[in-house]
Amino acid sequence: MVPALVTATARTGGLLLAASVGVFAATGFLPGDAAQARTGGRASAAQLAELRAGAGLDRPAWLRYWDWLTGLLRGDAGTSLVSDRPVVDLVAQRLPATVILAAVALALTVPLMFALGGLAARGPRILRPATAAVVVAGAAVPQVVLAAGLVALLSGLLGWLPPVSLLPVGASPLTAPELLVLPALSLALPSAAYGAALLRGAIGDAAQRPHVADAALRGVPPMRLAARHLLPFVLAPATRVLAVVAGALIAATTVVETLFGYAGLGELLVAAIATRDVPVVQCVALLAAAVVLAGLLVADLVAAATDERRVSTP
Amino acid sequence: MTRPSRSRRRRFATALACGLLLVGCSAGAGDSAAASSTLRYAAVGTPATATNDPHGGFANESDLVRFALTYDALTVPGEDGETRPRLATSWTPDASLTRWTIQLRDDAAFADGRPVRAADVLYSLRRVDAKAAENFGRMAVFDLDASRVTGAHALELVTVKPYAVVGQALEGATFVVPEGSDDFSSPVPGSGPFRQVDGDPGAALLERNEEWWGPAPPVERIEVRAVPDPQARADAVLSGQADLAGGVAPATARQADESGSAELITRPAGVMYPFVMRLDTAPFDDPRVRSAVRLAADRQVLLDTVFLGYGQLGNDLITPRDPSSPGGLPQRTRDLERARGLLAEAGYPDGVDVTLHTTTSYPGMEAAATVFAEQLAAIGMRARVEVAPPDTYFVDVFAQEPFYVGFFGGIPFLDVVRVSLAADSPTNETAWRRPDWEAALDAALATADEGQRRAQLGELQRVLRDEGGYVVWAVGDDLKLAAPGVSGVPTGPGFNAVFLDQVRLER
Repeated sequence: MVPALVTATARTGGLLLAASVGVFAATGFLPGDAAQARTGGRASAAQLAELRAGAGLDRPAWLRYWDWLTGLLRGDAGTSLVSDRPVVDLVAQRLPATVILAAVALALTVPLMFALGGLAARGPRILRPATAAVVVAGAAVPQVVLAAGLVALLSGLLGWLPPVSLLPVGASPLTAPELLVLPALSLALPSAAYGAALLRGAIGDAAQRPHVADAALRGVPPMRLAARHLLPFVLAPATRVLAVVAGALIAATTVVETLFGYAGLGELLVAAIATRDVPVVQCVALLAAAVVLAGLLVADLVAAATDERRVSTP
Repeated sequence: MTRPSRSRRRRFATALACGLLLVGCSAGAGDSAAASSTLRYAAVGTPATATNDPHGGFANESDLVRFALTYDALTVPGEDGETRPRLATSWTPDASLTRWTIQLRDDAAFADGRPVRAADVLYSLRRVDAKAAENFGRMAVFDLDASRVTGAHALELVTVKPYAVVGQALEGATFVVPEGSDDFSSPVPGSGPFRQVDGDPGAALLERNEEWWGPAPPVERIEVRAVPDPQARADAVLSGQADLAGGVAPATARQADESGSAELITRPAGVMYPFVMRLDTAPFDDPRVRSAVRLAADRQVLLDTVFLGYGQLGNDLITPRDPSSPGGLPQRTRDLERARGLLAEAGYPDGVDVTLHTTTSYPGMEAAATVFAEQLAAIGMRARVEVAPPDTYFVDVFAQEPFYVGFFGGIPFLDVVRVSLAADSPTNETAWRRPDWEAALDAALATADEGQRRAQLGELQRVLRDEGGYVVWAVGDDLKLAAPGVSGVPTGPGFNAVFLDQVRLER
């Protein structure tokens, strides 16, 4: 277990470093740079050169990357190339909004995912095809379309919820929880459907095992059957699925936050990419990558821990 | 390097824990009595690029509005476009029109209590000048090294050439900060009608400055928020999350207007998507081709399709709302026969292939290009429309390509000259280089008599209309949506519209 933990952690660290190089390179390959974004295309070549020199953009890419990395290790994430504000401030201001949104969305996703996955695999026979169809369709619909549909229904037609989610100034999103509902649903529904699609097979496989049929014949009640006889076999794949779903959900905050005018990290990332604001892009992307990789790490460790049992169980 | 404080982190953790339990059972924000005197403005802007620096470029309307509320500017344009005093009470030239005495109010004070002095003003103007690359050389007409402080509340500004309209050159964007301010990572104190008390540049809460020298603002608080999506801004007003929304798309405006759910506020000539032709590139280097293009435009169809009728027909005048814009010129209309003839005369009897570039930065820009391409086909000009992504358009296409859809936000004529018509401007997008025209411009600016000067400036605009590289087919209204009870929203040209301190809110 301990060597597994060490190698898994080391691998996660390596992946994180690779992700930071990847993001840096990808941003570098986009046409234009922050100096051009900042001047709106209205500066002369000499003025642009001066701005680039001032921001250090005239130096080779590897040197800029090195400076950024060493700065980060010293605890300095740099300043925005567009607004001159410290990156840490920009990120810290928006972090709570996105953490809350993602947490609420995940809290909705997990039970829904298990319910749908279980229903599609083991539910009443008559419901299975319908549930499977819902799962496949739900996983296939893009967030944008779903969000628009939810807005049209819950806001436009029924008038229950606001169509945009402008956060209260200087206060937590939790002071206006109604603003969280539509963005969280837009994130949770496709994630749950996608997760359920992945989970359905695992639950189905586990249910095929002889001891489950045996327990059912012995008259073990369904809930107890699920908890005692199914869950241990589903736990490892479920954790993996959850890690993947959580990663996809975090990625989807970029779309959903922008759609609802919800000022979180996703919206910050989209805007920072548009203005080639490399230090901001790096910081937000790395934060997201760290969360996703940490999720996968936990999933790996759970898998390792449950593996032995799986081997020893007949 | 600042880290979130421990208490902030703990508060956040507690909030998160409570939140997970609470979400779902809606607590509601609760309308306190205080909320009724807070004007909430959903402005055009991207929170991620919002800045505290009032001297750079104004990429976000939200920033500009916040600066106009928290800092004093030297002068402001009125609803009629004429210059009005603000922090500067008078501006008086010497006989050469190159040395100007600027007299300041003596009762303005920064939020920290320090009086606003001439030294602060000169420092701020120099800082604007140092950031010329970002603000299109806003102070280019001044020699600020030669300018000097002449008293606690008086300074002498020197211009690089005779310049009769210094009051206008100081309009709007001359925000005064305390001398020596150089760290704008957080807001520096201002002396304006409001003070920022909470929030960040992306969403700020401003409170009325009871010590301000000017007329007391009717509302106690203004919330200024940058909202990137036009539909989200409009929805914010329609759903009661904001009282005023800027930069509303015509389609949304019409919907809201027809349903009566919000009031539509129109600012004439606030949006313009002229077709831009480069005079140094074939086929547009031939004046007959440019005339043919102008005559090919069915302006009414363009106005109705792109702005849904919210605007006025364009007469190819680049700044129709500027007080110096010439009146009495006949409206240019579509004349296909003449256009075809001119094209043939210019050596294109069988027509010509061109590429018309456009983007989706502002609502309707793409439609403008596709509709005009069809209209051009009628004179044998085969225009292929190419749509570029918004984030690179103003770098790769703007001021580069020979034929594209441009953008002006209703700035005064002399600002257009500085940005787009000066021979040495990096964004001389039409490649307008006419020594005789520039000489006439200098002569006009050296004319002290206002009536005479306006006539001269008007004549320059007429020449540009007939011989330049712009097709101004319509001037669209800048559209705002207001909740019931909002009044006094400024609708004048240029910087007039960003000064929201006298807006009223009655609920």
